[in-house]
Amino acid sequence: MSGCGFFLRRAAAARACRALVALTASRRPLRTSPHSRGFAKELCLGKIEKNGVFPFPEVSQDELNEINQLVKPVEKFFMEEVDSGRIDREGKIPDDTLEKLKSLGLFGMQVPEEYGGLGLSHTMYARLGEAISLDASITVTLAAHQAIGLKGIILVGTEEQKAKYLPKLASGEHIAAFCLTEPGSGSDAASIQSRATLSEDKKHYILNGSKVWISNGGLASVFTVFARTEVADSDGSVKDKITAFIVERDFGGITNGKPEDKLGIRGSNTCEVHFENTKVPVENVLGEVGGGFKLAMNILNSGRFSMGTLVASMIKKLIEMTAEYACTRKQFNRKLSEFGLIQEKFALMAQKAYVMESMAYLTAGMLDQPGLPDCSVEAAMVKVFSSEAAWQCVSEALQILGGSGYMKDYPYERMLRDARILPIFEGTNEILRLFIALTCLQHAGRILTTKMNELKRGNMGVVMETIGRRLRDSLGQAVDMGLTGDLGLVHPSLGDSATKLEQNVFFFGRTVEALLRRFGKSIVDEQLVLKRVANILINMYGMVAVLSRASRSIRIGLRDHDHEVLLANMFCVEAYFQNLFSLSQLDKDAPENLDKQTKEIAQLILEKRAYICSHPLDKLS
Amino acid sequence: MSCVRARLLARGLLKGWAGLCSADLPGALLSQVSPRLPRAFHCSTTPLASMKSLVPRPREPGKKPGKVPVPHEELFQPTPGGTRDKASFALAVQSFAQHSVRKRGHVDFIYLALRKMPAYGVERDLASYNLLLDIFPKEVFRPRNIFQRIFIHYPRQQECGVAVLEQMENHGVMPNKETEFLLLQIFGRGSHPMLKYVRMRLWLTRFQNINPFPVPRELPQDAVELATLGLRHMEPDLSARVTVYQKPLPDDGTDPVDSVQPHIVGIQSPDQQDALACHNPARPLFVEGPFSLWLRNKCVYYHILRADLLPPEEKKEQEIPEEWNLYHPMKLDLDYARSGWDDYEFDIDEVEEGPVFAICVAGAHDQETLAKWIQGLQETNPALARIPVVFRLAGSTGELLAASGLEDSHQSQHEGQEEDERLQRQQHGQS
Repeated sequence: MSGCGFFLRRAAAARACRALVALTASRRPLRTSPHSRGFAKELCLGKIEKNGVFPFPEVSQDELNEINQLVKPVEKFFMEEVDSGRIDREGKIPDDTLEKLKSLGLFGMQVPEEYGGLGLSHTMYARLGEAISLDASITVTLAAHQAIGLKGIILVGTEEQKAKYLPKLASGEHIAAFCLTEPGSGSDAASIQSRATLSEDKKHYILNGSKVWISNGGLASVFTVFARTEVADSDGSVKDKITAFIVERDFGGITNGKPEDKLGIRGSNTCEVHFENTKVPVENVLGEVGGGFKLAMNILNSGRFSMGTLVASMIKKLIEMTAEYACTRKQFNRKLSEFGLIQEKFALMAQKAYVMESMAYLTAGMLDQPGLPDCSVEAAMVKVFSSEAAWQCVSEALQILGGSGYMKDYPYERMLRDARILPIFEGTNEILRLFIALTCLQHAGRILTTKMNELKRGNMGVVMETIGRRLRDSLGQAVDMGLTGDLGLVHPSLGDSATKLEQNVFFFGRTVEALLRRFGKSIVDEQLVLKRVANILINMYGMVAVLSRASRSIRIGLRDHDHEVLLANMFCVEAYFQNLFSLSQLDKDAPENLDKQTKEIAQLILEKRAYICSHPLDKLS
Repeated sequence: MSCVRARLLARGLLKGWAGLCSADLPGALLSQVSPRLPRAFHCSTTPLASMKSLVPRPREPGKKPGKVPVPHEELFQPTPGGTRDKASFALAVQSFAQHSVRKRGHVDFIYLALRKMPAYGVERDLASYNLLLDIFPKEVFRPRNIFQRIFIHYPRQQECGVAVLEQMENHGVMPNKETEFLLLQIFGRGSHPMLKYVRMRLWLTRFQNINPFPVPRELPQDAVELATLGLRHMEPDLSARVTVYQKPLPDDGTDPVDSVQPHIVGIQSPDQQDALACHNPARPLFVEGPFSLWLRNKCVYYHILRADLLPPEEKKEQEIPEEWNLYHPMKLDLDYARSGWDDYEFDIDEVEEGPVFAICVAGAHDQETLAKWIQGLQETNPALARIPVVFRLAGSTGELLAASGLEDSHQSQHEGQEEDERLQRQQHGQS
């Protein structure tokens, strides 16, 4: 995975190196080891990895100017020319809009400059995404094209493949699609049925199979297709493995079904794609033969972080629209904005937007730093948090608007429908939670196992350290991880929140240790436990992100940084108590933990496949 | 407390004594004895019989009952052209009330009416039971002083009341407030019918839905439908599909055994299909049966297609493929698993059995019919064609005779006769 991350970074290296100063700006390099192991993974050990997180990653002034120049016309275009309501009604993006998008270069945002793209770094891609997110259908079309459709070519494509395909893809002349999902295979790669067989002359693969729910399936002329191939193992046995191919529509045998009628993002094209005896030249194998599985994982993992900025920008717009309404509508001779229950909703929206923005740009900054490990866990956290917050915020906004929010005359119901896809695609949030928790637990498990083995072997150093730690824990010593205090990385006005984060991290580390001791490798099947672990991790990552960002804002004196401090502190307190509750639920035999009952109820219902209880009006005989 | 005990004791004594009477002494003797009892101590001649009134008893051999006309029988004679339904039952009961203003012989009438209820199809109708209870004269049987309360007051009437409730209970009819009101009026609060009522209110609610696999009250008459019901009853998987492999011929709902072509109905779930597809063709399958399954008063016989348990050396551990989940790891790379101290499950010794691949209910239990079933199964399970199938059919020894329906009617006739006999004895006792 990190290998692919390396490719990715090299592709963006030209910009990233001059863009980011974060690495050198770390004032207190506490960790001397050259390899830092990822922020989220270290959280599981009860440690805060400050490298790359504090201070908040920054972009250089040049780059900032450049991106602002880029963003302005795009924003103008979206505000003035894109009619989202029409796109939604007609279920299609008009051709002239697509042409304009192409001319703005939005089809090649992350394609390196030498291939005619914009070659944006992750941070800049995220920033430009904010402008695009004003229309969900276009966002999804563009994301399917470049975040997953052509990403494979950038990540592992050969020079020839890149030279052949990327320029046309970057200009938008060709549109790309990512063909992985099949009728019987969502996240289960083992049930992929599409097959590519090598022809007699070994020059072609014959591709057969059907793919469903392919974004851009009807528009695309270049497909990244995953199919089974026979691969000879090192020991001579033949195995079925997944291989990725670049397939052009001109290869023949490609048909697609009619566009699906969807709840939201109706303007984006989603349809089935069928391959029937499509001849794919062997040069078009993407990456290694049999390496498709890892490539698919990498592509999926790399595209997620940007959802944070997309959603944040949408919420910001939503706040503007609803605030307008709340400040003008009067009930009982008072404006809506004077009611506490309405104010609460605005605070919630602002807080969510602030947190996801911080998380997304922190992750983008970490991704742009050379030499850092892969941030797939962090990206998944951003995706989970932002997609859920999006649904919550849009729903609350609708609530502020009351009846008018429900009407088709206003854009709110469309936004609600569009937001519903976010927790579902790019890996459902449930599955991503498992990914977050399991990846971090795996890391913690490895380190704890070595420690336990050392203990068993009787390594005096480790034994003394463990005993000492237990003693310190039992004495209830205050937790200090270097975030607060005179030399702290966090501004004193956020000191309380930082202490709360430290406490959370400390107890979380202990809890993870206990969980691993208790469940061992069978924790894979304890999904409710894993969900809590993931929730805590997401909350803690959010806390770190807002603390880091707000501290930076104060130090460099950004406008309205006191407002940021308010938001940051509010989120930290909320998250702290949520975490405490989750942690107590993770205790053995905790009264708060209702997992057993939950499972029992669900099992009974699923056995009958219906709601079980009798009707409240039912009587005996 | 002591009062209660005294009452119980007294009741026990009375019962024992009365039981002796009814068992050993002919009715004539009883008739001499009973008038001598004090007015307040009415004693039952058939204390236990009423409890068993609905339980079929074996016929006592060599005892020819004399045909004595049952009183009030004429009320239940079918009117020409009239049907026997709830309204006509109510009419009969009302005509008794009009016919004898003094309610003479009402106990006999109630016993008779109870027996007639199934014929009128009102054995599950609460209103009819209430109507029946309403025949009892009010306030007469209520104890008025402490002694009457200690001993059973008007036991024959009380037992009759209990019999009504008993029949309700057997048919799962829950008494309601009206019943309670009637019983209070008739027998008073501490009486046996009232106790029975209270217990029914308590236990019927708890037992009415105690069967987690309920069988409908009215069973289908059609053999195929009945078989489908039985199969669905046995198969826990709701995705299982019922297939009618062969329709009965002639299809007129007659006895399946007589028909030329017996019905064959089978059930198989998708999981069973998958398991069958993975079955090792070297290991034979067995068709076994017939086994019986009772659905209320009907019995269906079924056969199963099963295999022997795989020996441990042939069991394949399902391994987690390397490239399986695109999103998250499917296993953790750790040395240790869940520790023993965290396991609160009871140590249950589970016996593993071989897999069952399909179940069928057929009209005939011979190999020829069942072979047709296997042929039908092969259409949906191509793998079955390659696997040898061994028929291990037990003889039809365990099976009830097909003429059971006929027998039932005989039985009920006998019961009716016995009931008549018992009734006669009761009347002797009372007179």
